[in-house]
Amino acid sequence: MNVMITGAGGGLGRALASECAQRSYNLFLTDINQSGLTALQRGLEHQYGACVAAKACDLTKDDCVDELLSVIDRCGVKFDMLLNVTGVDCEGSFLGRERGRILEIVSLNIGATLRITHAILTRRRPGRRFFLVFVSSLASMYPMPLKATYAASKRFLLDFSLALGQELKSQNADVLALCPGGLATTAEAMRAIAAQGIWGDITANKLERVARSTVDKALRGKSLYIPGLVNRVLSACGRLVPRKLAAAAIYKRWTKSQEKWLIHESHNTD
Amino acid sequence: MKTVVITGATSGIGLAAARCLLKKGYRVICLGHNRENCVKAELSLKAEGIGAEVLFFRADLMQQGEVNRVADLLCGYIEKNCEGKLYALINNAGCVRSRYTTTQEGYEQQFALNYLAGFLLTFRLLKFLVRAGGRVIMTGSRSHRGIGVHWKDIMLKDGYNPLTAYKQSKLCGYLFAKALNDRYSQCGLRAYAVDPGLVRTDIGNKQTGTLVNLIWLMRKRHGAEPEVPAETYGFVCEEVSPPAGLCYRDSRECGCGRQVTSKNADALFELSEKLCGIKYPGAGEI
Repeated sequence: MNVMITGAGGGLGRALASECAQRSYNLFLTDINQSGLTALQRGLEHQYGACVAAKACDLTKDDCVDELLSVIDRCGVKFDMLLNVTGVDCEGSFLGRERGRILEIVSLNIGATLRITHAILTRRRPGRRFFLVFVSSLASMYPMPLKATYAASKRFLLDFSLALGQELKSQNADVLALCPGGLATTAEAMRAIAAQGIWGDITANKLERVARSTVDKALRGKSLYIPGLVNRVLSACGRLVPRKLAAAAIYKRWTKSQEKWLIHESHNTD
Repeated sequence: MKTVVITGATSGIGLAAARCLLKKGYRVICLGHNRENCVKAELSLKAEGIGAEVLFFRADLMQQGEVNRVADLLCGYIEKNCEGKLYALINNAGCVRSRYTTTQEGYEQQFALNYLAGFLLTFRLLKFLVRAGGRVIMTGSRSHRGIGVHWKDIMLKDGYNPLTAYKQSKLCGYLFAKALNDRYSQCGLRAYAVDPGLVRTDIGNKQTGTLVNLIWLMRKRHGAEPEVPAETYGFVCEEVSPPAGLCYRDSRECGCGRQVTSKNADALFELSEKLCGIKYPGAGEI
């Protein structure tokens, strides 16, 4: 099984890479951060004896992706699985954030994901089933004030994933959308979860379990995976409650926890 | 003047041990994770009038790249200013994580910092330690008893539990000390695990979850001040002929868990070499 993972240098991408290495898949990893990628490659080789190739790439830039693809084509690698993990989040109100940071969310979470997905789908291993995974989010279930662009970008991925799944059904390819809650991937993420108090703890998912189940579910051809019972209930509610009402409720809750989080961040700069 | 290196020396047990050894006349090289805390610790030692021979290096030791980076700096410094001799290395830096979190290498963080960082740093400083007939001290914990190494899943990816991960990482420290003695005591190097007992530090309140944070806040109230275990580090360093035991607590030899066997120590040593991509030299090759 040849697997491409984007955003592999940290958090969920790294956990998925570990999971795949443990299953003895061959890995092709990419991330914008070269040093993280090199460390992970070495770690996976040492820990699992895995076969890992890695190349840093800014997936938002066409020429960077072309260069990545030319390396792939030169080696003649064809893929059986693509895990689209790369993405950014940027907390805060729309007007309180720089224009560039907001557009980056769209160009990475959506633009880059589509760019690499198109490229890898045309480099499928012939005659084999293909597995495609998009990392959406629990945030895709509702319109989320103060995370408006992020949540909408994740909604895009969710809808796109379901639609593409239909298109590819007849071509022996399965598409899975993963919608996790908070994941304790970095010190910052851990503080953000803590700032949400009890809700943060309840909706947070176990990174290692999510990674394992995601690969399991992809292999079983599932189209949607929402980890955690509470999160499944919340997303079901999201479908019942009028979207405007959901947005208002979320705005109320987030204003408080964001204040707490931002105060925390200003004290905590390491 | 004898030089010692202490990791995790900006607070808690590491800082207290640094203070203790400075008072006894050692030159102390401290490693800390956070620049701000390094500065703070250095200032407080200087303010006490014992900071003349202290030096701080910053490194995030759970990342192997960082261990190697700071090891390069340390090697240069020790070669130049300490006649290439390192009298003691105290692998003390440690953390608690309530969730499964990984380093850049994809290694579980408690395992990577509490144990593997010390394994790699000791390797990098080995020749200086041997040259000085030095001592390696691992910060242990009584909690290493009653647990075995999860050989099939040492990073505890399947069913992570913070306490299990902590205990195992501490057990690994004991096994490492044993393995070092088995390999290098003939060249004059000795390794120890110091059990500090329950100590009032912030280990359970840094980057942990709500529950671990709360439990530790209550539990640490019953702990001793870090100055108490620091005396044991002082004792193990000060004894003229190296103490013969493996584990020390309250400046006295104490027993260690049943899992601390040469067989386990060898198995862990080999696995750790693989995880760090290194090969320790034979006793005759240093």
